[in-house]
Amino acid sequence: MFTLAAFMVRNRRQFLGGAGAIGLAGLAGCISGFGDESDHAVQIGTVYATGGLGDDSFNDMAKRGLEDAQDDFDIAITETEPSSESEFESAQRTFAESGVNDLINCVGYAQADALAENAPDYPEQDFIIIDEVVEEDNVRSYTFGEPEGSFQVGHLAGLLTEREFAAGDGETIPNESVVGFVGATETPLIESFEAGFTAGVEYANDDAEVVSSYVGEFNDTAAGQEAARTMYQNQDADIVFHAAGRTGIGVFQAAQDEGRFAIGVDDDQSLSNEDFADVILASMVKRVDTAVYSAIEDTVNDEFEGGVERLGLDDGGVSAVYGDTLGDEIPEEISTQIEESKQAIIDGEIDVPHEL
Amino acid sequence: MNSGSGPMPDRIRRLLERLIQASVMERIAISVAALFAAVLVGGVLVFISGSFASCRSGLDVAGTTFCYNPMQVYYELFLGALGHPLEGGWSLTNYNLATTLQQTTLLIFAGLSVAVAFRAGLLNIGTQGQLVVGGLATAVTVVFAASIIPSGFVGTVVLIPIGVLAGAIGGGLYGAIPGVLKAYADANEVITTIMLNFIAVGITSTLLSWQFQDPESNNPRTEPIPEYAEIPTVPYIGFSGGMDFSLLALGFAIALMIGIAWLFARTSFGYELRTSGIQPAAAAYGGVNEKRMTVASMTLSGALGGIAGAFWVLMVHGSWLENVPSIGFDGIAVSVLAGNNPLGVGAAAFLFGILESGSNSIGTATDVPPELVGILTGLIILFVAMPEFFRMIGTRYIDVRPTEPARTDGGRAPADETTEDPRGADDA
Repeated sequence: MFTLAAFMVRNRRQFLGGAGAIGLAGLAGCISGFGDESDHAVQIGTVYATGGLGDDSFNDMAKRGLEDAQDDFDIAITETEPSSESEFESAQRTFAESGVNDLINCVGYAQADALAENAPDYPEQDFIIIDEVVEEDNVRSYTFGEPEGSFQVGHLAGLLTEREFAAGDGETIPNESVVGFVGATETPLIESFEAGFTAGVEYANDDAEVVSSYVGEFNDTAAGQEAARTMYQNQDADIVFHAAGRTGIGVFQAAQDEGRFAIGVDDDQSLSNEDFADVILASMVKRVDTAVYSAIEDTVNDEFEGGVERLGLDDGGVSAVYGDTLGDEIPEEISTQIEESKQAIIDGEIDVPHEL
Repeated sequence: MNSGSGPMPDRIRRLLERLIQASVMERIAISVAALFAAVLVGGVLVFISGSFASCRSGLDVAGTTFCYNPMQVYYELFLGALGHPLEGGWSLTNYNLATTLQQTTLLIFAGLSVAVAFRAGLLNIGTQGQLVVGGLATAVTVVFAASIIPSGFVGTVVLIPIGVLAGAIGGGLYGAIPGVLKAYADANEVITTIMLNFIAVGITSTLLSWQFQDPESNNPRTEPIPEYAEIPTVPYIGFSGGMDFSLLALGFAIALMIGIAWLFARTSFGYELRTSGIQPAAAAYGGVNEKRMTVASMTLSGALGGIAGAFWVLMVHGSWLENVPSIGFDGIAVSVLAGNNPLGVGAAAFLFGILESGSNSIGTATDVPPELVGILTGLIILFVAMPEFFRMIGTRYIDVRPTEPARTDGGRAPADETTEDPRGADDA
C-alpha cells in the first residue's frame, strides 16, 4: 500500500496526465465513439414476453428473427424486456410514442390486452403480435399450430415411454407408461399445447397416462424443476414436455438429476441449451423467428399489412425436431410412425383437439 | 436501548452523532453528494459491463469493445424521465413525464403509508399487501357499483370516490390485522406484515380465479372498470387520456401529503401518534391508550396503502392485475429517504418516479439489459438513503441531548427536534 502511494506521489504528474487523457478519450467516446444507430433505413422496436431474453426458447427465437433480419437488411433495433404483465402497456406505448419505429413487435399472447388498447391510439404505427389475434388494421397477428406440433412430440413420447429405451443421460421406465407436461400459465394458448400433446400420447398408446402441472410463471426455473422432479420421482414419469419458456430450463435440470428425458419447446433446445442436450429427446420447434423476420421483410419492402397469419405443420411453422445428441438413437420404426402421423395431420386424417 | 448499552467505537458514535445533528441543508447536501457518487460508481460499472457484452457497434479501447455508453445511460435515466427536454419538439405534457408523475403519485401514497406507521414506532413492511388487497377491493367495488349507477359524468363523480374509499377500507382493514396482533397478542409487526404480504397475494389470486377473472382476457385480471370511472384528465393543460396519468390524482396525493403533515403537527391524534413512536412509556403516562393507538396507526397506514392500490387500478390499468408491481416495497425506501417526514415523501417519491420512468427510457433507447439498469437505480437509492438510514438507526441507539438546557418547547422529545423543526435544529 505504501509503495503504491509513494509511486503515485512520484508519478503523480504522469498519472494525472494519463488519467486526463483517458478521461478526455472517454468523453470524446461519449459523443462519437459508441456507434450511432440512428442512420439506419428502418427502425424496429421489440417488446419481449415476461420470460425475457436468455430463455433459450420463445424470446430468444424472436431475437434470432431480428438478428437474421439485421444481417440481411439495414435496420436498427431497440428492445425492452418487461418483467411483469402490468408493464406491457407502457412499454408498447413508449415505443409508439417515440414515433421513430417503423414496426413494433409484441412478443407473446399476454400483450394482447395492452395492444388492443394501444393500437387504435396509434393508427399510423405498425405492430405485430405473436401467438394472439388483435383485430386492428395496423396489427398483423401471427399464430401457430401449437396443438399439431405438440401432438407430434406427444406421439413420440407415447411410443417411447412403453418400451425400454436408454440414450445419453436418460432412460425410460418400461413398465410404467406415464409422461408429463409442465405448463407456465393456465391459459388457452398453453393449454392447447397440453391438449395436442395428450392427444398425441393417446394416439400412440391408449394406456399411457399424462400428468400435468402449471407453475404459473414463465420465468420461475426453480418451480419448473420442482414440478418436473415430482413427476419423475413420485409419479413415475419418464418423459416430460414443457411449454413454459425459461421455467422449462428447470424441467431439463430435473431430467438430468433424475436420469430421465425432457422435450423442449419453441427452439431446438438441444442446440440452444447444449448443457442439457443429453436429456432432450426432441423439441417442438415453433418458428417465431420466421414470423418476426417476415414481418420485418415486409416492412423494409413497404408491403406490411395487418391481418392474421397462421404458421402450421404443413409449412414448417411448427415441427417436431429430434435432439441433436439423442436424435440418432431414436429407433427408425418410431421416426417412421411420427412421419406418418405428421402427414395424416396435414391431410386432415387426424383431428387434433385445440382445447383440453 | 440507550447510550449506556453495548460497546460502540468512539469514531462511529461521533459520526452517527454528527449525522443526527445535521441540519436540513446539510442533509440535502449529503443527499446530492451521494447521488453524484452513485452516478460515478454506476457509470464505471456500466462502462466495464459493456466490455462483456457483444454488440455491433461500440467504443474500441485497446482491443476491447465497450458496448454501453455511461453518459447516454444517465442521460436517458434523468432526462429521458422528463421526456428529453433538451431535444427539439419537447412538450411539457409528454408521455415519459406522465409516467414519471404517475409513479410519483402512487409512491406518495405508498410512502405516506410507511411513514405514518414509522412515526408511530411501527415498521409496516406490509404496505404491498395492503395495496394488493385495496386495489382488488377497488376494482371489484367499482365494477359492481357501475351496474347500478348511471354512466357519464354522474358515474365519474360517484364511482371514483367510491372506488378510492373501497381501496382505503380494504387496505385499512388489512392493515388493522397486524395492528391488533401487535396490540393484543404482542406479535412483532415486522414478522406479521411480511407474512401478510404473501397471504394477500394468495387470497387475491384465489379470489380472482374463483370469481372475478375477466372472461375476455388471457391474462389474470379483473373485468375492466367502465372508462368513465377512470380518473379523468384535466382538459387543455393536462396530459392526454391515453397516458394513464392525471394531474387530479397528483393533486390529491399532494393534498393528502399536506393533510398527513398537518395531522402530525397540529392535531392531538398526530401528537399522540408521534409520542407513542418516540417514547411509548411517556405516551402511556400522558394518557395515550397504547393498544388503541397501535391499531389506529396501522389502520391509517393500511388505508393509505389501499389508496395506492385504488389509484393503481383507477388511473393506470382500469382493472386489477394479478402481478402487482412492488410499489408498496418501494414505499419503504421512499419513506426512509424522506426521513419519514410526510412532506419529504413527495420529493423522495419524485426521485423514485424519475428512476422508474428513466429505467424504461434506458430499456428502449440502449442495449443495457434491465438487470443492469436495476443495479444502477439500486445504487442510487442505496447511496442516497444510507445517510438517512444511519440517522434513523442513530436516533434509536444514541441518546443525543441538546447542548443547551431544555426550555419550554411544547414538550417535544429532544431526539425529535431535528426531524420536526428545522429551525430548532439550526439554532441548537
